[in-house]
Amino acid sequence: MIRTPLRPLARILEARQNGENPDAIERENLRIRHEQMRDRARLRAEGRLLVLGVMFFCAFSVIGLRMGHLAASEPTEPRAQATGASIIAQRADIVDRQGRILATNIETHSLYAHPQQMIEPLRTAEALVEIFPELDHDRLVKDFTGERKFLWVRKKISPEQMQAVHDIGEPGLLFGPREMRLYPNGPIAAHVLGGTSFGREGVHSAEVIGTAGIEKYLDTALRDPGRNGAPLELALDLTVQAASERVLDAGMKLMNAKGAASVLMDVQTGEVISLVSLPDFDPNDRPRAPTSGEPGDSPLFNRAVQGVYELGSTFKIFTAAQAMDLGLVNAETMLDTRGPLRWGKHKIRDFRNYGNSLSVTKVIVKSSNIGTARMAQMIGSERQRAFLGQMGMLEATPLEIVEAKGGKPLLPPKWSELSTMTISYGHGLSTSPLHLAAGYAAIANGGYAVRPTLLRQTAPQTGPRIMSAEAAQASRTMLRQVVTEGTASMGEVPGYFVGGKTGTADKPKARGGGYYDDKVIATFATLFPAHDPKYVLIVTLDEPVETSGPEPRRTAGWTAVPVAAEMITRIAPLLGLRPERKPLNMAGVTLISD
Amino acid sequence: MSYLEYSVKTVPSGWRKFLYLNWPLIVLLTAVASIGFLMLYSVAGGSFSPWAEPQMKRYALGMTLMFIVAMVPIWFWRNVAFLAYSVAFVLLIAVELFGTVGMGAQRWIDLGFMRLQPSELMKITLVMLLAAYYDWLPIQKTSRPLWVLLPVLIILLPTALVLGQPDLGTAILLLTAGGLMMFLAGVHWAYFASVVAAGGAGIWAVLQSRGTEWQLLKDYQFRRIDTFLDPSSDPLGAGYHITQAKIAMGSGGWTGRGFMQGTQSRLNFLPEKHTDFIFNTLAEEFGFIGGVSLLLLYVLVLIFCITSALQNRDRFASLMTLGIGLTFFLFFAVNMSMVMGLAPVVGVPLPLVSYGGSAMLVLMVAFGLVQSAHIHRPR
Repeated sequence: MIRTPLRPLARILEARQNGENPDAIERENLRIRHEQMRDRARLRAEGRLLVLGVMFFCAFSVIGLRMGHLAASEPTEPRAQATGASIIAQRADIVDRQGRILATNIETHSLYAHPQQMIEPLRTAEALVEIFPELDHDRLVKDFTGERKFLWVRKKISPEQMQAVHDIGEPGLLFGPREMRLYPNGPIAAHVLGGTSFGREGVHSAEVIGTAGIEKYLDTALRDPGRNGAPLELALDLTVQAASERVLDAGMKLMNAKGAASVLMDVQTGEVISLVSLPDFDPNDRPRAPTSGEPGDSPLFNRAVQGVYELGSTFKIFTAAQAMDLGLVNAETMLDTRGPLRWGKHKIRDFRNYGNSLSVTKVIVKSSNIGTARMAQMIGSERQRAFLGQMGMLEATPLEIVEAKGGKPLLPPKWSELSTMTISYGHGLSTSPLHLAAGYAAIANGGYAVRPTLLRQTAPQTGPRIMSAEAAQASRTMLRQVVTEGTASMGEVPGYFVGGKTGTADKPKARGGGYYDDKVIATFATLFPAHDPKYVLIVTLDEPVETSGPEPRRTAGWTAVPVAAEMITRIAPLLGLRPERKPLNMAGVTLISD
Repeated sequence: MSYLEYSVKTVPSGWRKFLYLNWPLIVLLTAVASIGFLMLYSVAGGSFSPWAEPQMKRYALGMTLMFIVAMVPIWFWRNVAFLAYSVAFVLLIAVELFGTVGMGAQRWIDLGFMRLQPSELMKITLVMLLAAYYDWLPIQKTSRPLWVLLPVLIILLPTALVLGQPDLGTAILLLTAGGLMMFLAGVHWAYFASVVAAGGAGIWAVLQSRGTEWQLLKDYQFRRIDTFLDPSSDPLGAGYHITQAKIAMGSGGWTGRGFMQGTQSRLNFLPEKHTDFIFNTLAEEFGFIGGVSLLLLYVLVLIFCITSALQNRDRFASLMTLGIGLTFFLFFAVNMSMVMGLAPVVGVPLPLVSYGGSAMLVLMVAFGLVQSAHIHRPR
């Protein structure tokens, strides 16, 4: 840096010549230099100040903008994430095939307390007990005056109760909105719907989770927010279901049965139109599972799906159908029915002695065990097993309720030739009424396997063909004859041509083996209208006794059949079937003979 | 220029000094303080007790102190700068040893009639000492490392003590105000650039260390950072303050709910509603318009300080006025950012508005210094 000298020689000399003090020049120059330095520093400082000013301006702008942004924002109280705000309680409705509500949601409130915020805990406890008599006063006092910060008082309260609690005026009592499941029809279709309970609970909401039935089976789907509230459409028909329940309940009481079940199925689609199990329960207040006693006697037990029974003679038609399908017999083939039929040390007997021989049709109509066993011997174990397997008789039904898995058929430990013979007339293999319905549906629809379902179907389900149309047709003719001239004569419903097969099976003893003499499972499996069946109906009564006669009658013909007939009378119009006064060219005329 | 270099005779003397006070600045300060009284009256539910009345008394006391300080010639203040700093520093150490613990931090010395916060005192004395230092230091030496190290120590020593109390807000204020003073005094920009770079790297390292075994902050400190970045993650816990503060501002809207109508503050949803979060009460009751008005008043105060500093050819007076303006700016900028969720909650009051003794008195004394510099400026 070139510096201006403080004492420039020329000026010093000049000053000396003029007799001035040269130091003044130095002071003068020093002052100028200082001023220059100061000015430079000042300039620099001002530059820095400008930088700072820009920063200030930015800060002000940010603060001002933020202020405007916040002023424009909508003030929303944040929902606490800790206490269950994330629980989405919206659960899809369940409706029947006509769109009528079977299960829906209702807004209620829960009542909880913050004892630490209570002003008058003692008065509050007293007032609460007045509103909810089931609460324990001493317990409340203890909770309210203790160390607890939070407690549930009631999980669900009605609007009236809420108002009453509100009127106590205690700030320590708080309400939380909560959605609960409502079954507006009460116990109707209880076993299908199952029930729900609260899962994770918070004060803002509670999770509703399925605990049984279709609510549990399709829990994830029902809770899926992606449904956008689309209801779940069932195959059930609410009016048919209600009528079935009424008739079956009356029939159960009339026949002194301890339980009953019925299944109505569309034979083309496998849709279960009604499914009844009695005794039943109210899913709005689902009872707890019993801890003692026979689980099969609990109202929660679904006899139509979970209950597996030896369904007796109703199975005979499967044997006949298969034998005809295989070409081993036709409807007129005569079978040796001399009894008893001995197999090893076992004897197979008929209910009555039917003479030396019967045609296949007569075997079914009169329900001959011996004749059926003879057909089974012709069919053989392997083929019988395969046939029943194709019908779905050997595994649990795929019905969309969680209980269906429990309805696993009981198979003989070894499928021996004797088993083949007993199974042919419905002993030694236990299945649920629903299994039976699926089997009869295959006969009714012309030979296609049917997969039972609770969900509404729009098109017929065609499963694999398991028998020829002719065999199915011949079987239907026989079933019709069972009603017109056989064991199910009480099953005739004027205008609706009912075909069906009765079955009366002695109940096996729970312990020790062997069978009871006086306890039966009476079943009537029907299809109607017989010439072009649209529906299959299974009615099963557990331990029925008909006592109008001189001695108690337990056979299905006296118990299950009249109940089923009454049911068809009631539900056929609901199903849109028109009664036919004049019998058509009856299906039974076209008999098969090859 | 230093006061030693100009004639004292050009400076007004005696009662004439009153005429040369920066009166518009006094009017501005009173306006700001009055907003504070109004808000304190409102948050007490329409009552002068417990906050508005003591605050007004303190303001009167502060105003008196301001006049006294203003009357004393500025060169006296320059000469006692080092002494004042030393006293404040000793008090800081004293508070560490004998102080009263309040709100989880050791900050006060109980003087009987008031509780003194030495950290507040330090804010002013630090500015004074730095201004005096750069006035004394020949300009050409400003950027030499040794002469840079000295003011850095002057800043860091009290900052460390305050941080140990712990009072993060004041520590940040001291550090920033001191650093900006050095910047204004003309220290070479490369120093600042390297500090900023190092600071950025440090923050990066701290954030990277999370979850590793050489983690530099405790878990709860990381959670605080999380809460700052997303208050809704813990709306009832650490994020409660800021969530409620934002609700207050949002419910105020553009024109506010009206005087004494603020529900957030009066129903105690808003914590610290009379101290650090008083701005939200203002914004709730007077809306955006009220908030911006207060901001504008603050800006005007700052502009007056800067203008006064630019008019003043004396280096000490000029630097000190700027430093005090800066401190004032940092006060309200940090507070407003904090209550609006722009900065973490560090506990900095809103100057002249928040309820609090030390801060108010110290600020008034500081403005007394500004006035003194204004009156005694070389003409």
